[in-house]
Amino acid sequence: MATQRQSSVISLIFIYCAISSTSSSQVGTNYGHSDEISNSDHNPSLCISDQYIMQSYFTTHTSLNDSEFENFLLLQQCSDKIDQNIVPAISSLLQHRRNITGEGSHRNLITSIKLLLQSESQFNELVIVERLPLGVFADPFELQSLQQRKVFSDVSVFGDTNLELPSFRSNRSVVEIHVDMSSRDYEHGEISLKLPLHARYQPLHDSGYSRVEFGEPDLFLCSSHLPNQGHEQRRCLVLSIGGLKTEAISVFWDIPAGIRDHTEYVSAFTFAAAVLSAFSILVVSVLSSKVESCKNSKQS
Amino acid sequence: MSRGSEKTDESPKWMNFRSLLVFSMFLRVFLIIYGEWQDAHMEVRYTDVDYMVFSDAASLMASGESPYKRTTYRYSPLLAFILIPNSIIHRSWGKFLFSASDLLVGWFIHKILKQRNVPEKICTYSVMVWLFNPFTFTIGTRGNCEPLVCAMVLWIIISLMKGNLSQAAFWYGLVVHFRVYPIIYALPIILVLDSQIFRSGQKPPLEDWNTGKAKTTTSNTEKKPLHFNLLTALKSLFSRERIMFALISGGVFLACNAISFYFYGHEFLHEALLYHLTRTDPRHNFSIYFYHIYLHYERQFSAVEKLISFLPQFTVQFALVFCFYQDLVFCIFLQTVAFVAFNKVITAQYFVWFYCLLPLILPWSRMKLKWEGLLCIIIWIGAQTHWLLWGYMLEFKGVNVFLKLWMASLLFLAANTFVLVKIIQRHQFSPLFRRFRSLSPKM
Repeated sequence: MATQRQSSVISLIFIYCAISSTSSSQVGTNYGHSDEISNSDHNPSLCISDQYIMQSYFTTHTSLNDSEFENFLLLQQCSDKIDQNIVPAISSLLQHRRNITGEGSHRNLITSIKLLLQSESQFNELVIVERLPLGVFADPFELQSLQQRKVFSDVSVFGDTNLELPSFRSNRSVVEIHVDMSSRDYEHGEISLKLPLHARYQPLHDSGYSRVEFGEPDLFLCSSHLPNQGHEQRRCLVLSIGGLKTEAISVFWDIPAGIRDHTEYVSAFTFAAAVLSAFSILVVSVLSSKVESCKNSKQS
Repeated sequence: MSRGSEKTDESPKWMNFRSLLVFSMFLRVFLIIYGEWQDAHMEVRYTDVDYMVFSDAASLMASGESPYKRTTYRYSPLLAFILIPNSIIHRSWGKFLFSASDLLVGWFIHKILKQRNVPEKICTYSVMVWLFNPFTFTIGTRGNCEPLVCAMVLWIIISLMKGNLSQAAFWYGLVVHFRVYPIIYALPIILVLDSQIFRSGQKPPLEDWNTGKAKTTTSNTEKKPLHFNLLTALKSLFSRERIMFALISGGVFLACNAISFYFYGHEFLHEALLYHLTRTDPRHNFSIYFYHIYLHYERQFSAVEKLISFLPQFTVQFALVFCFYQDLVFCIFLQTVAFVAFNKVITAQYFVWFYCLLPLILPWSRMKLKWEGLLCIIIWIGAQTHWLLWGYMLEFKGVNVFLKLWMASLLFLAANTFVLVKIIQRHQFSPLFRRFRSLSPKM
């Protein structure tokens, strides 16, 4: 049993991206899936001294870059090999969905992960790192209120958290979600995450819509963070490294965008309207005050 | 509200000012409690997002940190300071404070109108326009701070009416620090501080509602040599009252900014002041400029373009001031409506800025509710609703309706212009102050 457990440390994690159509035709439909199997003898694990995996990335980088992020993960790998006895056996199960639900500028990114731990271990926190594409953002305060309602055990947003800038003036952001596996009461090992996202104003596009594509999340299984332990490192097993898949159609969101051809006549009519309104008010004001002056002259 | 329709019969007892105020108070308390329930039990919150921003900023300040660490906090540190009890007493402290300011506005409206001898019944109706405006009583109970600003503006008017220039100047400097927009009132206030009206130690004579004749202080049948007029004009331009008002208000404004800068540095300057002066938001809002700004956002506007876009606003403000400054309340009402209508960004909370002044001009309007008044209300609300429908399609259905939404904002500007023009045409011009009669012989 122990041997089996040791040899199947990270055996199978399947995260299917079987996407079904929703009511909105703008939501991407994806019937591809991606498998991330890491089944090597030495298990990639990261040694993290911060509460969040992304925390130290953003102390050394100003913006998110996928290749820099993957290099960062390589640098975070623990120098010593992990003791196989403490690593839990993980079995992965059936396909699930990843899609965008809702309509308009405020939607939810749904991710389902099926993860069964065959035994209790110190690796009891599932960490999902959602590297958001340019063009959408997560509201840190909204996520905080979700955390207060125990939807997530912990959540934080890194990168560009300016909620107001359009996408062409902003950088990417990352949402790191922590799910406590030890106390979680889930059926058949299924975890369903609903991440509320909001659209930024998009670059101008001739079609009137700009497509934002979502990649796969990065998954880690970590030991608990102990806040009072200061620089005590904790280990995170790498379950899956996501990013944007080019070989499969990813989840996408078509967001309305301004049309460049509108520029000239919108500007012209805007100023014409402003001038006309200003002129009307000016004329009426002058005439009214002249009428009052005449009245007063007659009365005096 | 025209004088022609004034009746001498008494209003029902329940409609007296005190009862209205008490009822309004209970309504607001109920809404605050209901708001707490809705926030806890429903997905759509009653509380304004801005209130969360203020509260977070206040709790940062309470723990010794900068309130500007809270993103989108773009107000004076004073606001965060007065909301510190949110973290100590209860999170609804701010809502009670803003709702109390809202009731204070009602009381100030009543006071101002009584000072000008407006009949009690008309006063009561005017106050009801504020207290029972659904927008008004939701804005404070949802946690928006605009009623506080409105109360300060009305207190400035009351102080001027009492001849208390130092107090008016103090509050004016403070309100401009708190919320930049009242800077547009500087010129009419300075112009109205005529030494023929304001004399040291004397309360300025008010032009009251009963006076049928509106005397303009600009009418002057005396013919004086040109050089004497210029000299007199210059002397009166730099009168003691004007200099004092400018110095006190400027001093208070600078002192508040200096203290804020001392504690919070460039963050304060950028977020609380410069942001409002330079704000151009490409996101959809009621302003006619939003789509123009979005289409050009990938490149910066030149200084000439910025100046040209500011010209209509500038022209209208100056026209209104020089035509109507003597009827000070009417002037600042028109200025506020025009300022909002021509602004680069318009959000619904800005409407409160002129809602609080509307009751003060109604007793002097010849516009009858049926049907001209109703037409103005329907056109203004209709244009807003039309815009909101397209806004809903864009934001909540994800349909590209930018062009239609922009057209709706043009229509909204047209509605604002129409209503402004109607109000001007139907207004019975009445200077706020009368001149003291001169005892010197005419030349």
